[in-house]
Amino acid sequence: MGDVVLHVGAPKTGTSFVQDVLWRNRESLAEQGVLYPADRFDEHFLASLDLLELSWGGLEKQAVGAWDRLAARVRDWPGTAIVSHEILATASRQQVRRALDSLAGPDAEVHVVLSARDLVRQIPAEWQENVKHRRTVAYRDFLDKITDPARSGALASWFWGVQEIPDILARWGGGLPPERVHLVTVPKPGAPRDLLWQRFERVLGLEGMLDESALTDARRRANPSLGANETALIRRVNERVNDGVLVGDDYRRLVRELLAHRTLSQRRRSARLGLPDDVRAWAVELSEAWIDELGEQGYDVAGDLEELRPDQLGTEALFVDPDHPDEDAVADAALDSIVALLSEVATLQETERRLGQELADTRAELERARGLWFRIRRRLVRAADENVLAAAGLAAYRRLRGLISRSA
Amino acid sequence: MSLPAGYEQAAWSWTEHLRHGGTRTWTDWLSSGCGADAVVPGGWPVPGAAQLEVVRRLATVSSLGEPAFTRLADLVLGRSAPGRGLAHQPLSWPDPPPGRRFGAPPADPSDVPGEELLRVAAGTLAELALGVPATRERPPRRGLLSRGARVEVVGAPVTAAAVRQRLGLTTGSTGRVSDVVVLVQPFDRLLAEVWSARVQRGAPVRWRGFVRRWSGRPGLPPAADLPGLARQAADRVGAERVHLVGTDGDPTAAVADVLGLRARPGEAPPRLRDLGPEAVDLCRRVNAVLAVRVDRQRHRTALAGLVPALASPGHGDGLTVPRRRRRWALTRAEGLAEDLRSGGYRVHGDLGRLVPAFAGVTGPDRGEELAVALSACARLGEEWTGG
Repeated sequence: MGDVVLHVGAPKTGTSFVQDVLWRNRESLAEQGVLYPADRFDEHFLASLDLLELSWGGLEKQAVGAWDRLAARVRDWPGTAIVSHEILATASRQQVRRALDSLAGPDAEVHVVLSARDLVRQIPAEWQENVKHRRTVAYRDFLDKITDPARSGALASWFWGVQEIPDILARWGGGLPPERVHLVTVPKPGAPRDLLWQRFERVLGLEGMLDESALTDARRRANPSLGANETALIRRVNERVNDGVLVGDDYRRLVRELLAHRTLSQRRRSARLGLPDDVRAWAVELSEAWIDELGEQGYDVAGDLEELRPDQLGTEALFVDPDHPDEDAVADAALDSIVALLSEVATLQETERRLGQELADTRAELERARGLWFRIRRRLVRAADENVLAAAGLAAYRRLRGLISRSA
Repeated sequence: MSLPAGYEQAAWSWTEHLRHGGTRTWTDWLSSGCGADAVVPGGWPVPGAAQLEVVRRLATVSSLGEPAFTRLADLVLGRSAPGRGLAHQPLSWPDPPPGRRFGAPPADPSDVPGEELLRVAAGTLAELALGVPATRERPPRRGLLSRGARVEVVGAPVTAAAVRQRLGLTTGSTGRVSDVVVLVQPFDRLLAEVWSARVQRGAPVRWRGFVRRWSGRPGLPPAADLPGLARQAADRVGAERVHLVGTDGDPTAAVADVLGLRARPGEAPPRLRDLGPEAVDLCRRVNAVLAVRVDRQRHRTALAGLVPALASPGHGDGLTVPRRRRRWALTRAEGLAEDLRSGGYRVHGDLGRLVPAFAGVTGPDRGEELAVALSACARLGEEWTGG
């Protein structure tokens, strides 16, 4: 077996883009000696659910045994293998040990990769993710929970599990030489478009393997963030649909994909979500401590630790409170949502009409093909419901048929 | 407080104390100065505060001796808590333990929230349920001489299972059904039994989530849709042979009385157990782990071992719906009663019994749930270790 590269997070740092590029180009990469072991797009997500014993709205049922299957493919591969999912960031030391033991033998060189973005941008992004996963927690409540030093409750513990960069690297990279622990920093807004990918290319060992066209489709699927008022709208939708109106897959398809990703995130002129002054000051101070700690550890940094330092607040960037949003803006976003849903309904109705016609045609054809003997048997079965003699005849026929099939 | 030694020495010596059945608290251990001369094995990882506290509390309820208890303790200490929660809390110490400037905050194990202890216990129970040999309970078979007509009991699934068991009634698809009994219970209790049945069959759904979800839908879970059950029964046996039985007393006696049966308990226990809210919620937690660990068949087998270990005779209060769902529950119950009245079925007792009682608790109590969890760990631990 060869080297193993584990990309373990963090969420909202370009991880989906990286996974999309790896997935779309897995065959070409395999020809060049790099394995991205996946037969379905979410395979590493399912494997992570298995490793972490996490429920995920019923998806976990598809995850049974997924980690061991993934690990077996990695062990069997003679070259470099890449495993990537952002929820791996939450793994405990015991789970990390299990993961590393299962993926790599004693001779394999393991590399851990973590991508990171400054905390002032990560906190609002995490709340938005919560809202897009049908949570109804208000922004201020969310901020209060994550700034509480006790970190109690599922929300705060999850946040810190996936976002506390020094701790994630200590858990995943604690047993590795620091040069095999790679921190990719997300460039500041306005940086060249491909800069982040170039950093990933280096730490994943993919330099020179993929050309520009390999990235195009993944770029198209990029998942821009929601504005403050749009997030407020989704939160209100959650309050209405969580009472049994939309379950599992319906929510994913209609609210997250259709409304949030395909409709509301396209409203790019809407006010962006930031942090109130008190939380911002707290996050800036914490970021300084992180930068100091990460510098002391001597990890390989692809980018610059300075990029984890939040920007100075410009006078133009006033905080827009999503708990008290601009109601006109919310109403406008709601109108866009209605239009998107109407369009979807029209498309689905047309599909339903077409499928109904195809079904009717197929039934008619089947009826013609079944012929006279089928129609006689069907009439006999119907008659048996009301007529004792017919029922006895049918029972005798079935017994006879059973005997013939058993003897055959 | 005088500190006995370094952090790792104290943690290691206390862990050893607990692994061998000790029950002293971390604070007590530190103040006594025990373990100051302990030699910590190289590379030993300090277990999480929640895991250590669960082991300490297990020792207070387990009758296992050594080495069986140590084996059980190692199972608890060697596994992460499943699902979402604090990753791994280090033990409290006056200064941050070495190398712990970041990560989950240190905790005195005695102060670890019950929710975290329950996560650890649920993971342990999942492991034990998968580890103990399955005793497969076969459903009672119908004998050759009982090929004739049979009685079906439907409605509140846990009560129905108990009635069937006590009257020796079999379930299955063979034979002609002569009569169908629909048990009529207060709507909130009926719903709680449906939840319990679903969890006992492997669902990971919470009580509040279950009620919230159904309160937003036009329909009801099939087992709670009494008019639907009665209609289906009437289609097969005729409305005059569908009996709606509602009683404040013993439902088994009421059904026996209505149909002229006598009690003839089957040998096998009921297929669904009458579990308290805490036991059902704990089972729900374990289901969440089993769902991602094993396939459905293995999950069912594990539940066959787990559920009896959660059962305790005469559990406390039953469940009712949360306060904000009461209006919905009342309206629903009235609708069900009206539908049933108009069906032409034989009514034994009062259909007004469907009105929710709103007696009981609106959710499981964390403290009691932890007690159930520890007791179940101890019971299954005995089987697992052969102790």
